[in-house]
Amino acid sequence: MRNDFQAAIFLVYKYITRGNKGTLILTIIVTTLAFVQINFISGVLSGAIELAHQQAKDNYVSNIVIQPGKDEDYIKQVPLLKNKITSMPGIISCTSRYTIGSNISYDPDKNGKDVKSISWPIKSINPKEEMRVTNIQNYMVAGKYLEESDRDQIMMGKEISGGFGASLEVQSLKGASVGDEVTVYYRNGVTRDYTIKGIYSVDFPLSDMAVFVTEKEMESVLGVHNRASEILVKTNQVHTEQYYIQALRENGLDKEDIRPWTDFFGLMAGLTQTFGIIKRIVFAIGLVVAGVTIFIVIYIATIGRRKQIGIMKAIGMKERIIIVSYIFLAFFYAILGISLGIVLLEVLIKPYFISHPLNMPVGKVSLMIIQGELIASIVCMFVVSIIAGFVPSWRVTKENIIKAIWG
Amino acid sequence: MINVKDLVKIYEGQVTVHALKGVSFKIEQGEFVTIMGPSGSGKSTLLHQLALLDKPTSGQILLDDIDVSKLSEHEKTAYRLKNLGYVFQEYALIPELNAIENTYLPLMLLGARRKEYTRASTELLEKVGLGNRVHHLISQLSGGEQQRVAIARALVNKSKTLFADEPCANLDTENKGIVLRLLRQLCNELGQTILMVTHELEQREFSDRVIWLRDGIIEKEEIISKEVRDSALREEYQVI
Repeated sequence: MRNDFQAAIFLVYKYITRGNKGTLILTIIVTTLAFVQINFISGVLSGAIELAHQQAKDNYVSNIVIQPGKDEDYIKQVPLLKNKITSMPGIISCTSRYTIGSNISYDPDKNGKDVKSISWPIKSINPKEEMRVTNIQNYMVAGKYLEESDRDQIMMGKEISGGFGASLEVQSLKGASVGDEVTVYYRNGVTRDYTIKGIYSVDFPLSDMAVFVTEKEMESVLGVHNRASEILVKTNQVHTEQYYIQALRENGLDKEDIRPWTDFFGLMAGLTQTFGIIKRIVFAIGLVVAGVTIFIVIYIATIGRRKQIGIMKAIGMKERIIIVSYIFLAFFYAILGISLGIVLLEVLIKPYFISHPLNMPVGKVSLMIIQGELIASIVCMFVVSIIAGFVPSWRVTKENIIKAIWG
Repeated sequence: MINVKDLVKIYEGQVTVHALKGVSFKIEQGEFVTIMGPSGSGKSTLLHQLALLDKPTSGQILLDDIDVSKLSEHEKTAYRLKNLGYVFQEYALIPELNAIENTYLPLMLLGARRKEYTRASTELLEKVGLGNRVHHLISQLSGGEQQRVAIARALVNKSKTLFADEPCANLDTENKGIVLRLLRQLCNELGQTILMVTHELEQREFSDRVIWLRDGIIEKEEIISKEVRDSALREEYQVI
């Protein structure tokens, strides 16, 4: 057995070092590209999915959302509740928001002729608290973030204001700018005029379609105090959201409706699911392409050496030595192809996409190579190379010696 | 010793071909026998059956009293490696290996130590006149030199019997002389049993005996006298 192994290694070493260099280089290049192709497309889609998830957690609803229990309009005793939540292990911070339906009206020329009007909910934020939970303050494209004392100021995402590269024109004020005035007709009958203080763009539609006033302003509109429509909770993400939700329930929040961020992902969930399906399909196709490539190369190599294989059998070489040598050869192609592919991905492609991210609906997407998927692609490439090495060599070695040598 | 009893080989197909129709003969250890006959007489078919490269339809082949017709494919492979040597018409060497590597491959497969198979192969290559070509790649050797490497490879495992299928078919006159004299020399000096197929009449003069085949049966046997052999060694292909 040891002799057989040594003989197979000896043969494959000679095939590689003394065989046709052009064929060798071409095969390795094709294997490398096949490997890169699997992980590149998969990496772009993973990057898009991950970015969408990150955007939702960083700039939309954070990790966990607590909403009023059944038949309740608001969460009550919010300051007490927030203290309780933030004292729990693994919770970084939390913030409360009010939400109420409204009609926002914008008259750019102030003559009542070209009034833009949209129906959209308005949310309140406690700016100091909010900054510890979401990152919107870092994405101001015009004006400033709200301050706690602001009463007649409003802040909105670019998809509501229009402009700044907004892509969804469904609910937009078609170009409202910082300093412009808007009139908000709250669903409870209150009407307020606000000056646009800031416009932000996080390049994530769910976040960029939001309008904010301060908590104090909203409490005066609603006539309530120390209540909330929702509490966003930021965790340290050491455990899953379900773990923290369970902990919150065990800590007395048993009447409230507590849900993970994924429940608020809406249409984006469908998009990321589709990306996930495409990723798996592309991965499978890429693997088949890589496998077929290695298979064809080994097949041509074995067919080209048909006579030689016949001679090796004639002089008494065991079939398994011949087969194992071709499996080793395919393995060698796979090892070099995978190694060069990883270098290409990590040294060239990944850094390029980090500095030149792709503009996609979920934001600026760069390549994200998931270690598990990379390992899976490596394992699959090796399995495919074993098959590609085995099948053609097995077929040729099973041929009658006379037929193999003389055709 | 080779003992062939009533050997039959039929190729089934669209047209059934009776290549061997009951061939029987004996070859003693150390004998150099040539098989001759016109095209289609069954020369190569007979050699393939004896060299265990093909399976006869019926009959018995005894190599040193072992009925090799009853061996399994794995056993035949092992038998070929340990006991037989084969020289093909078209050199049949592995192009990625150099002269010595091609030569020591059977010994390597038998599990010999590196030192051992390198020494044995070097000695054999020197014996066949390629002492200065040991590390040359096959592409760097002439046809005659390649055939001599093939002979060295066929002998490296100390094979009892060497089968040569038209070993000079692709060689020029000079190299034909070199190869034939080498085969005769191996027979004389090492007591090597040699069974050679050829269609060139004058080549038979290097052997001890000729088995003439026609239409799958032995037509006649011819003994080559020592005088003829010596004369051939002196006169035929006088190049070395």
